[in-house]
Amino acid sequence: MIRTGLLGIVACVFLQSAAQGQMHGKHASEAACEEPTLRCATKATPAFGPDGTLWLVWMAGGQVSVASSQDAGRSFSVPTQVTTTRLNLDWGPDARPKIVVDRKGGIALAFSTFRDEAFNGQVLYTRSADGGKSFAKLKPITANNESQRFEALALDQDGTVFAAWIDKRNRVPAKEAGRKYEGAGLFFASSRDGGATYTEAGLARDNTCECCRLGLTFAAPGRPAVIFRNIFDGGVRDHAVMTFTDLSTPGEIRRVSDDDWQINACPHHGPSLTVAPNGTYHVAWYTNGKARKGLFYAHSRDEGRTFSAPMALGHPGRNPTRPYVLAGAKGTVMVWKEFDGETTSVQIATSRDDGETWSPPKAISITTDTSDHPLLVSNGGQIYLSWMTKADGYRLIAIEDQP
Amino acid sequence: MRRRLAAILGLGVLIASASALGAPPSLKPFERGTWQSVLRGHTGRPTLVHFWGVTCGPCKVELPLLGRFAKDHPEIDVVTISADLVPNLPAATQSMLDKAGLSSTENFVFNDGFAERLRFEIDPAWQGDIPRTMLISREGAITTIEGSAEIADLEKWSAQQLSKH
Repeated sequence: MIRTGLLGIVACVFLQSAAQGQMHGKHASEAACEEPTLRCATKATPAFGPDGTLWLVWMAGGQVSVASSQDAGRSFSVPTQVTTTRLNLDWGPDARPKIVVDRKGGIALAFSTFRDEAFNGQVLYTRSADGGKSFAKLKPITANNESQRFEALALDQDGTVFAAWIDKRNRVPAKEAGRKYEGAGLFFASSRDGGATYTEAGLARDNTCECCRLGLTFAAPGRPAVIFRNIFDGGVRDHAVMTFTDLSTPGEIRRVSDDDWQINACPHHGPSLTVAPNGTYHVAWYTNGKARKGLFYAHSRDEGRTFSAPMALGHPGRNPTRPYVLAGAKGTVMVWKEFDGETTSVQIATSRDDGETWSPPKAISITTDTSDHPLLVSNGGQIYLSWMTKADGYRLIAIEDQP
Repeated sequence: MRRRLAAILGLGVLIASASALGAPPSLKPFERGTWQSVLRGHTGRPTLVHFWGVTCGPCKVELPLLGRFAKDHPEIDVVTISADLVPNLPAATQSMLDKAGLSSTENFVFNDGFAERLRFEIDPAWQGDIPRTMLISREGAITTIEGSAEIADLEKWSAQQLSKH
């Protein structure tokens, strides 16, 4: 009896030691390897240049790198490292480096780092004026030093770069005044010189959800449109769109859907927005509200004043996540991930009638280990799926049966 | 022979215990299959499982309240699982648990690069939002609280669990 007890204790101590050793040793990683190479990337973001070159920015091994491909992702140029030292890059599930490539081939980048042990963030930006051979020294996008994350970039037709991000600066005066402060502010800035310098930051909306990616695009020349998880009355974290009047004037908040997700938590699961050439807003989002749960799609033909009834996406038993929607000249494409406990698939649906009806979903790619969010990217004619996976590396897949 | 083995093992325990004296229980890695072993390990006992993460703002507010609850309710098994998406940081995780008064509870940290698979084992519908609390009754019935839990609700559940026995 005593011996059994002792053996039990021995087992416990040894197991505990083994666990301790493991926890203090190398941590299980979502990266395939630890070098700055594309193969080791956990997040990769694409953009096509005006000449059809595919540009990819990725984070791997604590560094941000850029490379280009002339053969639709089959091979890449020697990467240019954007960072000069290993940084504590924002590794949150909705974080990723951002890239836009303008008509002259200038490349603007932005990404977030954790700048302290309390995980306060900082958005850094840089630009290449020599076709990606070199990048300017990294600069913070705002002089404010509180906390910023979840930056997004969009490119206007005239080459203006618009940036939006989530910023916690307003919690400071609230705390000093003894007021409760919920969420974080949606801030913005723009650049008329291709992302070399940005205007002073402006506030678009205070008290929005602090931990979800933004969806950002231009609805029309000079008019950025953003989708974000807002905090409505009563702590309801439902989605809203805002269309700016111009680069410095935020518009009104327009609710996408009354999902009634009252939660004081970090959903880590932001929305997607694209505006079709005819002005239709297509949005996709995740909610776990009282009114509905899961992934949904809707569209608006009046700049977000009214939206179509939310359409559920994906197989409810397969955990549909990470929706992304992109409108092209000929139609609209939507992708998301599903997971059956072992295999992750990217599901695709397409619409040929501006979002009124959608093709039945089908899997276009699978992987058996962890993976980045599925993204869509267009070269103006062809839409591609861009997907970084741990097991199988980077994939760029032409969507053949697109509308 | 058996006695000698027991003596050697006993010595091993003493050495191991001495080296661990004063040190709080360490974080345990949460991997494939850990969830089922957590459930098995607490079978028949009311158990509160709390999912949180070091970068989650609401979690930072809730964690010390949970530390207080655990101290006031020794009859409830409290388990914490740091489920912030990888890379989870053991040092930061332990530091926040210590500050919240949760050093001596059973504490795990996600230790698999495939966090989606770990979450799927726990609840296929869970997409990773934290904080999240699962209340497991003696009978094994699970009640899930999404977002920050109200301590009053935890008190009520705890009282119900005790009144049954």
